[in-house]
Amino acid sequence: MILSEKTVKKINDKLSKYPKAKGMILPALTLAYKQLGYVDNEIYIEISEIINVPQLEIAEAASFYTMFPKKPRGKYLLQVCNNISCALLGADAMVDRLEEKLAIKRGETTDDGLFTLISVECLGSCCTAPMIQINDDFHENLTRQKLDELLEGLKNGK
Amino acid sequence: MAEAVKEKILAVATITCTIDGQQITVPKGTSVFYAARQIGIVIPAFCNHDKLKPVGACRMCYVEIEKMPKLQVSCATTATDGMVVSTNSQQVREGRKAVIEFTLINHPLDCPTCDKGGECDLQDLTFSHGYDDSRFGFNKMRFIEEEKRDTFDDLKIGPEIVLNRNRCILCYKCVRANKEAFGEYDIGAFERGDLTEINATPGGEVSNPFSGNLVEICPVGALTNSDWRYKIRVWLTKTVPSICNFSGSGTNITFYKEDHKNFVYRVTARCNDAIDDGWLSDITRYGYQIVNSESRLKTPLIKKGGKQVKASWDQALAVIKKHMGEIKDQSGGVCIGGLISPSLDNASLYSFSKLFRTIFKSNNIDFRGDYRYLPSVTDSPFTIAASQPFSIADIEKSDVIITFGTDLIREHHNEYLKIRRAVNFFEATAYSVNPYAVKTADIAKSEMVYSPGTDELVINGICLAAIEKKLVDSSAAAKLKPKISKLSLSELTKQTGLGKEQFKELAEAISSAKKITFIVGEIVARSLERDKICAALSNLNKLFGVQDKGQLAVLSRYANSKGAQKLGLSATPYEIVKAELKKIWGEYPDCQPRNTDSMINLMKKEEIKGFITVGTNPMRLYPDRGFASEGLEHVDFLVACDMFETETTELADVVLPLCSWAEYDGDYINLEGKVQTGKQAIKPKYEAKAAFEIMELIASQSGVKLFENEQSRNEEIEQLLSLNSVLPWPDDFLEIDYDKKSSRDDYPVPLFICDDPHHSGHLTEKSPSLLNFSDSAYVELSKGMAAKIGVADGEPVRVESPVGKIVVPAKISRVLNSDVAIIPRNFSSTQTTSLLMRKKRVDSVKLTRVEE
Amino acid sequence: MTFYSPVVTNAKEIAGHEKLHLFEYVEDEKQYQLKRYLEHGGYAAWKTVLGKMKPEEVIEEVKKSGLRGRGGAGFPTGMKWSFVPKDSPKVRYLLCNADESEPGTCKDRVLMERDPHVVIEGMAIGAYAIGCHLMFCYIRGEFHHSIERIEKAMEEAYSKGHLGKNIYGSGYDLEMIVHTGAGAYMCGEETGLINSIEGEKGMARIRPPFPAIEGLWECPTIVNNVESLAAVPHIINRGADWYRSMGTEKSAGTKLFSLSGHINRPGNYEVELGFSLQKLIYDANYGNGISDGKKLKAVIPGGVSTPFLTPDKVDVPLDYESLTEAGSMLGSGGVIVLHEDTCIVWTILKLIKFFRHESCGKCTPCREGTGWLEQIIQKIEDGRGGPDDLEKLDSICGNILGRTICPLGDAAVMPIQSTLKHWRDEWQYHIEHKKCLVNQNFGF
Repeated sequence: MILSEKTVKKINDKLSKYPKAKGMILPALTLAYKQLGYVDNEIYIEISEIINVPQLEIAEAASFYTMFPKKPRGKYLLQVCNNISCALLGADAMVDRLEEKLAIKRGETTDDGLFTLISVECLGSCCTAPMIQINDDFHENLTRQKLDELLEGLKNGK
Repeated sequence: MAEAVKEKILAVATITCTIDGQQITVPKGTSVFYAARQIGIVIPAFCNHDKLKPVGACRMCYVEIEKMPKLQVSCATTATDGMVVSTNSQQVREGRKAVIEFTLINHPLDCPTCDKGGECDLQDLTFSHGYDDSRFGFNKMRFIEEEKRDTFDDLKIGPEIVLNRNRCILCYKCVRANKEAFGEYDIGAFERGDLTEINATPGGEVSNPFSGNLVEICPVGALTNSDWRYKIRVWLTKTVPSICNFSGSGTNITFYKEDHKNFVYRVTARCNDAIDDGWLSDITRYGYQIVNSESRLKTPLIKKGGKQVKASWDQALAVIKKHMGEIKDQSGGVCIGGLISPSLDNASLYSFSKLFRTIFKSNNIDFRGDYRYLPSVTDSPFTIAASQPFSIADIEKSDVIITFGTDLIREHHNEYLKIRRAVNFFEATAYSVNPYAVKTADIAKSEMVYSPGTDELVINGICLAAIEKKLVDSSAAAKLKPKISKLSLSELTKQTGLGKEQFKELAEAISSAKKITFIVGEIVARSLERDKICAALSNLNKLFGVQDKGQLAVLSRYANSKGAQKLGLSATPYEIVKAELKKIWGEYPDCQPRNTDSMINLMKKEEIKGFITVGTNPMRLYPDRGFASEGLEHVDFLVACDMFETETTELADVVLPLCSWAEYDGDYINLEGKVQTGKQAIKPKYEAKAAFEIMELIASQSGVKLFENEQSRNEEIEQLLSLNSVLPWPDDFLEIDYDKKSSRDDYPVPLFICDDPHHSGHLTEKSPSLLNFSDSAYVELSKGMAAKIGVADGEPVRVESPVGKIVVPAKISRVLNSDVAIIPRNFSSTQTTSLLMRKKRVDSVKLTRVEE
Repeated sequence: MTFYSPVVTNAKEIAGHEKLHLFEYVEDEKQYQLKRYLEHGGYAAWKTVLGKMKPEEVIEEVKKSGLRGRGGAGFPTGMKWSFVPKDSPKVRYLLCNADESEPGTCKDRVLMERDPHVVIEGMAIGAYAIGCHLMFCYIRGEFHHSIERIEKAMEEAYSKGHLGKNIYGSGYDLEMIVHTGAGAYMCGEETGLINSIEGEKGMARIRPPFPAIEGLWECPTIVNNVESLAAVPHIINRGADWYRSMGTEKSAGTKLFSLSGHINRPGNYEVELGFSLQKLIYDANYGNGISDGKKLKAVIPGGVSTPFLTPDKVDVPLDYESLTEAGSMLGSGGVIVLHEDTCIVWTILKLIKFFRHESCGKCTPCREGTGWLEQIIQKIEDGRGGPDDLEKLDSICGNILGRTICPLGDAAVMPIQSTLKHWRDEWQYHIEHKKCLVNQNFGF
């Protein structure tokens, strides 16, 4: 098993609350992603066995949603909102700056495995644009200076 | 959705609407799409399928409805009273044209090299509805997986299926049919938006027993199969209506043939809602390949100096004349016996019976070569149960469906799918009651797995639970109770492994059912105690009045088992049939009837000296190989008619090449008693002849004609078929005696020999496509069982019984959940029946891991 | 950090206001805790409902209040509830749509992070009204903090008997599950949301059957937006007439608006329906005017699914009817302001890329059409536009509008159509001159 006992327990706990096991597909994938930072076919199979739903149904669902990458990403996942409200306030330039500072293109991971940069659709932070989501946290009302500080902080392990 | 569909079927209420100016009254709940079809208006569609729930995805079936500003999709719009629909207005035509344009923008238009050409929905609908040029000025999307790349981006996603995602127009029919109709999860739609792609489950392949249907329902050339790909253009073939020769239900099929090559190119469905809903099992779809097989027997063979050599028909017949004549003259016709396949047509079966009974004056015939020890009696409970009426279409109309002693996916594909449909579309409740977990269980409300060999006790338990809960008539209960009370309900739970609650649940289901279907299958039919089990079923039927509100029958397994019963092909035909035969022939042999089992016994005693097999292979199929081979090896003169060399033909003194069912017109009676005709598709291959011709030729060696002509033969058959061949159940409740279960510690694992889901009987291993799905024997085990003996999937296992042993790879099942072993009987490379003993109630074996 | 999000609200204005209510406590750091929520009168409505009201009375009260769905469609909430068949033997489900993902909208997030109990209380009352004993809160997966806050609040509510078995001794049981999304705009559409809870892909379903008849697991199901549900406890506490007294005749009550884009004071503001858009943009208490002293070019009034408004329409009252009359929609209340240096083609390209990315792929016009539109618009943006491209855009938009299973198809094309109508010259200029009409430079 790749999934930890803790994750399996969490899945089973939640499973008992759902009227139908198939409803657990998303919650189980989410819990697996939280543990691993990715979810691939081996995980679909493990989940399939825990919740007793065909592997196919899990694979289909996982492929539809954007939050279940099949491969691990950097320690810090930088998701820059690039939809209209953020773009009006310079999100494109912000991604350019990040590409330059991290020396990677969007969609790539830095060689040290620290950062993965992606541009994403609206994250619901329109009134505090531009913004970036780093792992679970939103960083809003960003300016060039704030972004630089943020990056430095992360590089220095803060 | 389900509500709407149910309403459509059950409702008496109707509505009247107007479509293109015509008034039409349809049942409430009917969609506009089907209402229009009733007046001959065919609305175009890609994603709609008659047997699937509508999804409204392709948007091709737009109609305009008064008072609705937007175009509506007719597949998902219910017709209502007073609705005024236009299926061909300007707006509708423009809407459809736009859909065709959208559909084509990413479609490769590689029609010249596409196998679907000539029967492609997209081609046809573009022709009738589309533009003649494209406004799309960009590169089309193209799926290429570098490592798997083949010409035209083809991707093999299963043993038979090739996927071309560029051509896919995302109607989702394949995925929907697979899940909704077949309950299979090996093909899906992944990603989203315009990147959506159909594909096999990651790491898996599309290989379910119905996978061929996905190709057939694909509206474009996205899914093709290697059976048909690049072999011929469809317009160069001709179609011939026929019947599947591998199933008991008589699935309707279409042969595609080409006359110059005298070759059958493929089989597709010929939708018959009452039987198959247009779904074919892969066996039905690919099994036809045996017709074209290069390894068919091409000429008669006769044994010379211990070796079989080619001979002409005349030479072979002369040998038969000599030897059968000698046996008949010296020992009498009672020393000649015969076994025929219940998959052969009526004319062949009847000719066989007439040859034996009027020329040889022998009663030694049978059609059940794969049933162990069958007593030679006329109206045993089993014979009665097997003669009961049954309607496949009624499965859909039942609210309660019980499958007992049947692994449907290995026995009866159509019924398997009908039950799924009844549950998924019409809200029926299904119960699966079997000695091991079967595939039907996923749609069953409850799956009950009982200890192998306690079948009749399970039935008794249901009856006792009903009596205890006062669910049945009290006077009937009082009469039955003493006959089945040797074991109390709690004792029964101990023996069967089922709980009281489960007996109660079944009793309640049966008693509360408004319309019930109770299917009994091969696990019961093949059991040594089939009569005892059917006696218990007789009690159950009487106690609950099952047949008063539905159906209960042992389903017959082969293409013409029912015909064989009706035409009197067992040594002990129904009395009514026997009387009629006497009338037709003016005679009927009064010698003792001998069925398969007693014939083999008599071979050993040299009381059967001459034997004829037609289209059957007792050496492989009889459930006690030691017994069968000892018998057959003793036979002085063995004639074997078959399409292929088999274990039985190898022993034969004369081998005669037999036609396949595609090579002549034949009538077959399905398990419902329905007579259907399979038309001749091609001329007989090589020197093969139909069985009825062979019987006539053998008769002619005695200077006699079996029939004046075809018409007189058919009249005789008609006469027999007009008889009511449903045997009445006994008037009284039957006593069910109880024998203590024998301990089987040395051989602890119950064994079931049955068909692989991709094979049927001994012929399908000659179909290359079916071999691609499954080509050799294995022992199917539950995960737990495999763990107990320490084997992983694919590792060899030694399977030992008191009489034999084989080594086969383990196959870990996702369905099984108890300690049983299942081995398919379809592969000549593994002698499965060598493990069996003909008088054993439960075959059991010892499983051990084979050390490398 | 006091709040997870530094977003500006008009809570101060609301303090003590007799009408505005949704944002009354959102600047209170402790409002998310049950204790503080109770001090502010929390769960009183829930107690009233369970103690004194029949489900029909609750539905009647909400019907009378004139509350309409705040997720975008504006369907009357009470009427929606009344569609659940009274005699159905099936269980019923109430689903709170917290999949806030309409670009330009970030109001529900404020409620969930700062006043989560009001969402739960509103859900509970809705659940009771339709006879539901298991309700789901479907929160978009990216909102980790909203999820955390709602889950925490749910646990607190359970522990103090506001949820669970036999609530307040009434005999009524109510369970709640927080179900999180995983990145799909389509799950904000109610049938997509239902599919997503079932473990399916978030694809739209055809209607009928409507969810109120056959929704989640084929059972009667009601899907309500966070903001709609959050208004319900207030309606119960203060009465339908009070609620009705706000807003306009057909658009009663208050509404949250997210003001973003080229605006001096972006933020979330609660105002009565019928409030002037002009005032929302220019008043110092709200948007305080266009940023950098620029001129207004366009307003997207209700999230990116709504047609653009030209500056001459900016005095429109913010209510369902007036915006429809002005050629757009109230939508989700995501007001996006574009100043004069914004290129229309660039803006539309952003939007169509989004819709193509989020199209579920089920029905043909949306799946194929959004991709085609994007390619044409990208071509124009890149200076490779051709003379017939605008007509082609008109035609493709027309072939998608009203022809798809769910509203995503309409949402994708209506903004395009509005700009092709009002800013056609600019589109034309872009094609002819292979560049923007304006000098756009959104630096960072």
